[in-house]
Formats: sequence, structure tokens, C-alpha cells
Amino acid sequence: MLNLITYFYSAPFVPGILLADVWHGKHSALEPAGTAASEIATLFWAMAVGAAVIWLSMIVLGVYCFRTHQGMHPPRLPWFIIGGGMAVPSVVLAVLLGFGLSAMPRLVGPAPEGSLRVHVTGEQWWWRVSYEHPQGLDTQRVELANEIHLPVDRAVEFVLDSADVIHSFWIPSLAGKVDTFPGRETRLVVTPTSEGVYQGICAEFCGGAHAWMEFTVVVESPEAFDAWLAEQATPSNTLHDEGATRGRTLFRQQGCGACHSIRGNVARSRVGPDLTHVGSRHSIAAGRLPNDRLSLVRWLRDPKGLKPEALMPSFAMLSDEDLESLAAYLHGLK
Amino acid sequence: MTFEPEPFAERPALVPPLAAAPPLEVQRAQEERLLNVWKSPAGWRYWSDVNNTSVGLWYLVTTCGFFLFGGILALIIRVQLAVPNNDFVSANTYHQVFTLHGSVMMFLFAVPILEAFSVYILPAMTGARDLPFPRLSAYGFWCFLFGGVFVCISIFFNMAPRGGWFMYPPLTTAYQQDVGADIWLLGLTFIEISSLALAVELIVGVLKCRPPGMRVNLMPLYAWYILVVAVMIVFAFPPLIAGDVLLEMERAFDWPFFDPARGGDPLLWQHLFWIFGHPEVYIVFLPSVALVAMIVPTFARRPLIGYGWIVLAAVGTGFLSFGLWVHHMFTTGLPGITLALFSAASQAVAVPTGVQIFCFLATVMAGRVAWSAAMMFIVGGLATFIIGGLTGVMIALVPFDFQAHDSYFIVGHLHYVLVGGTIFPIVGGIYYYYPLARSKALSERLGKTAFWLMTIGFNITFFPMHITGLWGMPRRVYTYAAGRGFEELNLLSTVGAFVLASGFAIVLWDILRPKRKQPLIKRNPWNAGTLDWAGRVPTMNWGIRSIPEIDGRYPLWEQPNLLRDIDEGRYFLPDAEEGLRETLVTSVIDARPEQCLRVAGPSYMPFIAAAFTAGFFILATFYYWLLATTSGIAAVVMLIAWAWRGTGAIPEKRAKDIGLGVTLPLYRSGPASVGWWAMFITMLGDFTAFMSLVFGYFFYWTSRDGFPPDPLTGPGTFWPLVGGGLLLAAWVATVVARYANRRERAAGMYMALLVAVVLALAGSLALFAGPWTTGLNPTEHVYPATVWVLVGWTILHVLLGVLMLVFCAARRAAGKLTSEYDADIVNVLLYWHFLALTAAITVAVVAGFPLVA
Amino acid sequence: MNATFDPHAEHAGHRTHESNQSLWLLVIAPTIWATHFLASYVTAAVYCAKFAPADGSLATVRWAIAGYTIAALIGIAVTAWFGWRRQRYGTPEDVHIDTPLVRHRFLGTATLLLSMLSTVATLYTAMTVIFLGDCS
Repeated sequence: MLNLITYFYSAPFVPGILLADVWHGKHSALEPAGTAASEIATLFWAMAVGAAVIWLSMIVLGVYCFRTHQGMHPPRLPWFIIGGGMAVPSVVLAVLLGFGLSAMPRLVGPAPEGSLRVHVTGEQWWWRVSYEHPQGLDTQRVELANEIHLPVDRAVEFVLDSADVIHSFWIPSLAGKVDTFPGRETRLVVTPTSEGVYQGICAEFCGGAHAWMEFTVVVESPEAFDAWLAEQATPSNTLHDEGATRGRTLFRQQGCGACHSIRGNVARSRVGPDLTHVGSRHSIAAGRLPNDRLSLVRWLRDPKGLKPEALMPSFAMLSDEDLESLAAYLHGLK
Repeated sequence: MTFEPEPFAERPALVPPLAAAPPLEVQRAQEERLLNVWKSPAGWRYWSDVNNTSVGLWYLVTTCGFFLFGGILALIIRVQLAVPNNDFVSANTYHQVFTLHGSVMMFLFAVPILEAFSVYILPAMTGARDLPFPRLSAYGFWCFLFGGVFVCISIFFNMAPRGGWFMYPPLTTAYQQDVGADIWLLGLTFIEISSLALAVELIVGVLKCRPPGMRVNLMPLYAWYILVVAVMIVFAFPPLIAGDVLLEMERAFDWPFFDPARGGDPLLWQHLFWIFGHPEVYIVFLPSVALVAMIVPTFARRPLIGYGWIVLAAVGTGFLSFGLWVHHMFTTGLPGITLALFSAASQAVAVPTGVQIFCFLATVMAGRVAWSAAMMFIVGGLATFIIGGLTGVMIALVPFDFQAHDSYFIVGHLHYVLVGGTIFPIVGGIYYYYPLARSKALSERLGKTAFWLMTIGFNITFFPMHITGLWGMPRRVYTYAAGRGFEELNLLSTVGAFVLASGFAIVLWDILRPKRKQPLIKRNPWNAGTLDWAGRVPTMNWGIRSIPEIDGRYPLWEQPNLLRDIDEGRYFLPDAEEGLRETLVTSVIDARPEQCLRVAGPSYMPFIAAAFTAGFFILATFYYWLLATTSGIAAVVMLIAWAWRGTGAIPEKRAKDIGLGVTLPLYRSGPASVGWWAMFITMLGDFTAFMSLVFGYFFYWTSRDGFPPDPLTGPGTFWPLVGGGLLLAAWVATVVARYANRRERAAGMYMALLVAVVLALAGSLALFAGPWTTGLNPTEHVYPATVWVLVGWTILHVLLGVLMLVFCAARRAAGKLTSEYDADIVNVLLYWHFLALTAAITVAVVAGFPLVA
Repeated sequence: MNATFDPHAEHAGHRTHESNQSLWLLVIAPTIWATHFLASYVTAAVYCAKFAPADGSLATVRWAIAGYTIAALIGIAVTAWFGWRRQRYGTPEDVHIDTPLVRHRFLGTATLLLSMLSTVATLYTAMTVIFLGDCS
């Protein structure tokens, strides 16, 4: 309630006071940046115009019907019903159905040869993303969380599943959504067509922090993508400052490794998100906060306050200094 | 077969009313007796009333109460979403609020209000004094009230369900261990059962309780729609009940139907839920069109054009609506061909909807429309609904749905359909029918003001949602971040919601405002043509003074002196000589009188039975198994007592003169009786639930490897075959008992019943032995769980069947069942026909299928 | 119980008499649609889940659905013809608002109309296999 009041009173004077959220990129189905989304957007506009025309015609027809008076036994009325109610709709709907069906093989068909494959697992309430290792090391995968990089103009096949409940993987700018299930693999083929930063989100209600289950999709040139993937495949970087070194020690002492993994560090657990290169990501906590030290401190202090029912425990018992060191360490993991 | 036209007969003579009115003192005496028989009990005993006007009124008031509650929840949703990052309510509360908003609006408002409307006005339309099973309506109402209140108050204890109205597992199984989901599953299953009970009542009411001469082609269109809708309920609700059983079994007893780690599959729930959920949309929509089909001719002042087309549309929609369910699952990764098939059916269902709209347009084109608030709500509602229908056609296309699904676009779409298609016509219906119920008119001025507020508020609220959805706003988010472009449109939606709510507030005020000084309406204030307006002002409890012979669709317009003849008791059943409540039963096609039915009067039994039934479901929610079982047994005992005392009474004479020289039997059994039809329809629903469980079995077969397991673990073939054989033998013994009774061979009948009971019990033991002896553990894997659920379902039905056999024996011994008056055993035999089929299918599936697979 | 009341008893045995009528006639055509639809769905779903070749080709299912469609359309056409005969039964001059003949014709009309709708819906269903050739 407080926010509501503050918003109304403060908004005119301090625009942006409460707007300090992360901006992740475009997320509109009507500004497509992928082949599937383009096709669907075109279909939408065609249908929207058609629907508007039909609705207006019905209203005009309705007004005419109410104004006119045809007497008790108008001979043409059966044809009015047969034509307007049955024949015309049947034909229009058949044509529309044909368009819809003809687009389907392109949208649900198998991925073309040479597609990039990215595994994404929905978890309460974040996304585990994993790529095949760029050097083709079978045993190793490049894992990260809530961020996906894609090369432009190359088909990518997302292999989707879930670790717990049903989620739905949706990048409105690139394609339609596909649900993710525990114990069942689903697939989505996407071909991004223009570079940029796009936002993805969970579309299926999945409990507590469903509203904060976002991810960033960066579409970039193939060269930039290769460089990024190579970078993500490396172990975590070395540390530069004292605070970060302290943070690293704290990370071990506080048992963060019980859930998180930082390649090159001792932490190996795959319960929570991989943090090897967490500092390089666009945001933290699945889009809840911008990726800066202050936000990391806020997150460590009160995860459940920021994301209802978040599974990460609070570290509010640590001193400000400790929290800042941890934040420095994590933020330094570029 | 030849199709040469034969010479057809002359128009048959109708039974004319009495040429002269009975003497005035005779009329007065008749009226007094009728009033006396039909009057509602006074004081606190009023609540034992079962008459359709009382129960219908309570029902309407209760559903409207739930609507207001659901509306307040909606306003909470809109306040929360007015600005980004809002903390007006917490995420947990928000999830409870939106779950309850959806559940209340669908289960406690939309379906029940159509049943409430029908309980109230259907008998009036069909010239019946009451519905055929008034106590069943009362039982349905009390169940509905207890269950609904239970579900609603949970939110005040912060315990409400919070998995969405669709309750998808595994979120609602392993990930929400609190009582919320149980409240949803048990509380609403309970209400579904009461909806089913009323559906049975309404089907029989339409088919068998029309006035003489009201052939199927003369029925008010409302009756056609309600018939279709009630049949849809009978086939749509059971799959959900089956799903509820599976989900609750997983929650309470850890049977892993939806747990993928143990072979289960969450998709099965989605199938079962939406096999219910999509017909549900039409179950909600068609009754409102039924109101439109009554109101439009009245204000166009001419008969509706395209009666046959409307029947086509109603029946066609009823069928097609069962072929749409997967369009709620387009994004679940099913094969494209499956999606395509359901997309095709989803397009086809738009055709009958278009037909109905063109019939209404043709009618207003041919008539001269008189405007009123009711008519405005109808027209505004249809104009709104068309938008929802058009967006519906859009999302029925698989590619577009990939984007729109689970986004705010769908929220916009569904509210256009449900508010435009259902709520606006209902408000119109309230303006139209309020005078019928209360003999006072609502204010046209307030109605028109409310209409404009609602129309404007509605469109401001819901139109922007199409845009926010396509801009990427998913559904069911408790808040959203600033800077995404959602702020302005959401704020606009919230403002609109309050404008819409103010419109509803005006309607509410108009209904509640004191009208003591307002004059009574004149009789048939809208000059309508249908029989529902034949009642006197002020309303009399007797329903209709005498039951006329009908020979047109709009008798008040077409049959001269009809009202006078009805009022003076010149038609059938003008009297209640024996002091019993009576109504006519007629044949299905041509409504030839078949029976003078004695219907039940006031009783507390429905109330007590409903209270114990509620006790069972509510206590089970909290896993108080002992108390729940006690309450459940008490409910069964109460129902048996009710059946014993209140049904199938042998009349004091065979037949009765109902006036105009027509004598009708007072007792029928078999397909001519209403009880047989009720049993038949109930069993159709029950069998549908069973087939949904069988569907589950085959679903697992297609979706999971290792179902059935290889090598096979159980239940073997021996015991299931023995069990099936014994049960079929028990069924044969029941058939023998029925014919022994008919031939007046009491000893043979008792013997056959005894044999049937013994065989049935032995059969269920053998059926039980199958999975038991092979050590199938239902918590281990979905296969044993599924086998157990089919076997358990059958055994439960066998036990119920045994109870019925014992009941018949006791009735015979008590002289309440004789060779002539044998409705009890005929109905029980009908139950056993279905039971035999159930047992045979169970055995074929659990024992036979693994051999084939 | 005919001793009681039957104003039309004198026409017993006549084709338009109630005993020769049934509401089931109305539901035959949509039931054929429903059967066709379910058969198509079950065939496709079971085939894709259990029997599809590696490339997921639907060739077999396409032929099956084509067969179902022809059978369904024949069934609906026969139903429609029944409806048509009923609707045309008798001569129009004798049509009064309330005779068994009118009801006879009404049931015919409704059957015919439902057959039309079922035809449209069945054709829509059949359209799917024109456009979709595999299980993906």
C-alpha cells in the first residue's frame, strides 16, 4: 500500500525514483526480432485488421437491423441467417485455418542441421542455461543462469525441461513460448534476425516468485558470440582487490558452495545458479535486480523480501562489511 | 423403408379448456387448497422449504453474493497491479486472491447462477408446479452453500488455494504442502457434485415436465439451451471429478499420478482439467444466450426467427465444445498434428455462435424494437462478446496462440467472452425477470446508467490487456517492474475496473433499495409471449393455477383467453384435493400427459444430508479421516432415510382425474418415470468419470515407457477374471430378482437378491485380490496406482450396488415395493447395468491390456 | 396407459406419430463428427507416441484420417438425407403451428442443419493432414 501512495505522490516530482529496476531489453511480440516472431506478428496484424473490419460490419449491420422494419414475414431472412451465420463464417474460418495450419510446420518443425543447441532448465525461480563446450569437451558443459547469448541469423534449438514445477519459456521478441516440464523434454527452435538485448520471462504460473523469473537474451554477431562462449567456458578469473579476496574466503566459510558452483573455486554444487561468471551478467536474481554491488548486498541480505519464497537463505546475520566483501567478490567474477 | 409420402391426417383436435368457468365458490375453494398445499413453511421452518421458487431465490441470492465476493477479489487484483512494484498485497495473498477469483467466478457464480435461474424460471416456462425432484434441488443448494462458503472463507485464514484455478501439478502437489489445494479439490468437487445433481434435475425437468401439447418444436428456446447445457455438465464435470480424485490421492496418500520421478505425468491433469474446462466456457455462455433468446423476441415484439437454427447452434456448440480442450495446451510441446486437430475444432465452434447472432439480428430486423434496460444489456453484451469471439478465433490459430497464451492477451479475451457473453445478459436477465420474482419493477433509469458505466468501465479495463499481453506481460504476476511500458495501461485498467464496479454497485442498489411504496407491476409487464409470464401478481406459490394445453411457441400471444382460462381453473390440475403437491409428467417428444407426479414437500432431510456431506468433505480436507468417515456414513444413512421415506411412495389410488376428462396414473416405473431418467443421467455422468480414469490408464501407456511394466508385476489375469465373472453373475441375479418381483414371486426375488449380494461381495474381494496378491504398491509407481484406482472405483460402486440390493429387499419386506409398484428395483437394475459395464471394462483393461501391449 | 389421454391416438401408426420419433436423430451427425475427431486424434497421438518411424512421417495417419473422413462424410450425408426427407414431408399448405407434421418437419430441419455443421467441422478436421506431414 505504501508504494501505491508513494508512487502517486512522488511520481510527478521525482520521476524514476522507483524506476531503478533493471532494463533487460525488448520484450514485445509486436517488435519481432526472430523469424517465428515475425511470422506470428504478421499473422496477428492481418487478423487484427480482419477482426476490426468484421466487428465494425457487425455493428453497422446491427444498427441497420434495429432501425429497419421488415414486417412480420420477410422472405429473405432465412438466407440472411444461412449466408451471414453459416456460409460466410465457414468460408472465412476455413481460409484462416488454412493460413494457420500452413505456418505450423515452420514453427514446430525440427531444427535445421547445424543449429546451435542450448539446454534450458526452469527452476523455482530462475533459469539454468547450459551450452555445449566450445572445444567440444563432452564431459563439460558451459553452465550459467538467466542469461542466453545467441549468434544472429543462426537457428538455435532450445532443449527445455524443468527441475520442479511447470514453467514456460518465452522470449516474445524472438518466438512464441513453450512450457517446460519435469521429466519431459520440450523443444523450441528460434532464429534471431537482429542483434540486440531481449527479455525472456516465465509465462506459466509457477508459485511464489513467478513474477520475477526473467532472463536476458543477447543476440550478437557470431564472432562476439564465440568470444563470449569461450570466455564463459573458462574457470573463474583471478582476484584483484583485497575486499574480493575476503569475499572469496567468506563464500567458503558461509557454505555458499553447498548450493552454488564457481568453476576454479571449490564450489561445485548444482542446487542453485552457477556463479562462475556472475559478474558478467546483465542482472541478478533472474531479473529482479541490476547487477551491481549494492544490489548484491541487498540480495544477500533479504532474498525472500525481494523474491517471495525464494529458496536462497538470507545472510542478514553477516555484517555490512562482510556482505560488501561478498558482493565485491561476486561482482568481480566477470 | 420407403419414403413415399403418406396421406397425412387432419390437424388433431386439441383438448379445449372447460367451456364455462367453474362456479366462483368452487374456484375459491380450489385456490385455497392449492395455496395451502404449496405455501412455504412459516418462521424458521421456512428453511426446510424445497419449492423451486424458494430454493431458486436462495440460490440466486447466494450466487450473487459469491459474485460480489469474486468482484472484490478482482478489485484487489487491479489495485495491486495499478502501479509497478506494488506491495498492496503480498505475493502469497495475491496468488490466493487470483486463484479464488477464478474459482469463485467459475464454480460459485457462473455455473450455479444459470442453474439458479433455471430452478426459478424453468418450471414457470413449462407450466410445471415445481421441478420433479424438489428435495434434490434443496440438497444441491445446501451443498453449494456450505462448500462455497468453506472455499471462500479460507482466504481470511490465509489458507486459500494458491495454485491458480487450473491447479496444475506438480506445483499443487509436492510444492504446496499446505491445506490450500485440498480446500480447492475437496471443496469444489463437492460443488461439482451439487451442480451435477441440478443438471439431472433440469434435464428431467425439460424432457418430462412440460405442459401437455408443448412438443419439442414448441419448447421455449430457454428450455432447449438448458437441456443442452445440463447434458454438457453431465459429460464435462465428471472428468474433472476424476482428476480431482487422482490429485487428491496423490496429495493425501502419495499415489504418484503426476510425479514424473515415479512414472506419473503432470500432463494428464491438464487433459482432464481442460476436458472439463473448455465445455465449461460454453456451459457458462449458452444459458446467457438462452436469456437473450427469451428477451429479444419480447422486445422485438415478434417470435424469434430461426428457431430450428438456434436449436442447431445450441446442440452443435454442445458437441463441438468437447473437441477444443487441447487449445489450452498448445504450448505444452504436443505433436503439431494434435494441435492442428484441436485448432480445427476451435475454428468450427465459431460457426454456430455466428448463427445465433444472425438469428437475433433477423428477429430485430423483422420486429419493432422497444428499448429497455434489459434489452440494452443484451445488445451491449453481444457487441462486447463479438470482440471476445473474434479474439477467440485468433488464439484458436496455433501460431498466434504460441505468443498470446498465458499472456494478458488471454485475460482480455476471456473477460470479453465471459463478461460480454455471460454477465451482461445475466444483468439483462435480472432486469427482465426481477418483476416476475418480486412483483415490483427495477428502475429503468438506474439500469441504463449502470449499463453505460459498465460498458465504458469494462472496455477501459479489459481492452488494454490485449496490448499489455502482446507487449510481453505474462498472466498471474503479482507485480511487474517499472520501465517496461506496462505502467500506463495497467493504471488505465485499474481505473476502468472501478468504473465497472460502480456500474455493478448501481445494479445492486437498484435490487436492494426499498420498494415498499412502489406500485405492483401489472401482470406480464413486458407483454411477453411465453408461459413464464402467466403468473399472477402478486406471485402465488402454486406456480400456475391450472396447467394449460399449449399449441404454440408463444402461447400468451397466440392462444386467446389463455390467462383467463388458466386463472379460472379451466385446465388441468386446478385443484389439490388430496392435499398433496402435484405436477404433470408428459412424454418427451409430444408432451402427452403420462403421469400425475406427486412431488415432495418441505423437509429438513436435504439440509441435514447436505450438512453431513459437507462435513465429510471439509473434515477430509484437514485429513481428519475418522471424523470425515463418520460424517460420510451419517450422510449415507441420511440419504437412505430420505430415499426410504421420501421416494417411490405407493399412492392411495392407481390413477387420478386431472380434469377435462383425463385420468392419469399416479405411479410409473421404468423409462416412463422421472426417477428412471434421473438414475440414467446420473449413471451417464458416473460412467464418464470412470472412462476418464480409463483414459488416464491409456494416457500413461502412450506417454510413459514402462507402463505397463515389463515384465508385468500385476494384477495378473486370474483374480481379475474371477472377480469380473462373479460381478457379471451378480448382475444376472439382479436381473432375475427384478423379473421375479414383477411375477410376484417374493421368495424367488429374495433369493436372487441374496445371491446377487453374495456374488457381488465375493466379486469385489476377488477383484481386490488381483493387485493385492501380486503385491502392487500404489505409492511406488504410477502403474500400480492406476490399477488400484480402477479396481477401487469398481469396488466402491459394487458396495453401493449391494446397499441398493439390500434396500430393495427391505422395501419389498416393508410393502413399499410390489410387483406393480416396482420403480425401486427397476432403477437399481439400471444402476447394475452400468455397474456390469464398469466391471467388465475394468477387468478388460487391468488384466487384458497388459497382455496386448 | 393409453386409456388415459392421447388426443392423437387416432393417428397411431402414422409416420409422424410420437412413437416413431426420437431426439437421438438430432445427435447422430454431431456424434459422427465427434467419433471422426476422436478417432483422428487418438490415431495421430498413439501413432506419434508409439509407432512413428524415425523421421516422424505421418503418411500412415494421413491415409487413415482420409479414410475416416470419407466414412464420416457418407454417414453425415445419409443422416442429412433422412433429415431432408422429413423436412419435406407432407405439403406446405397443411402446416399449422401445432401438428405432429410440423414437429416431424422440425426434427428433420434440425437434423439437416446439424448435418451441415458437422460436415463443416469434419472437413476442418480433415484439413489438418493436408498441412502437417510429420509428428514434430
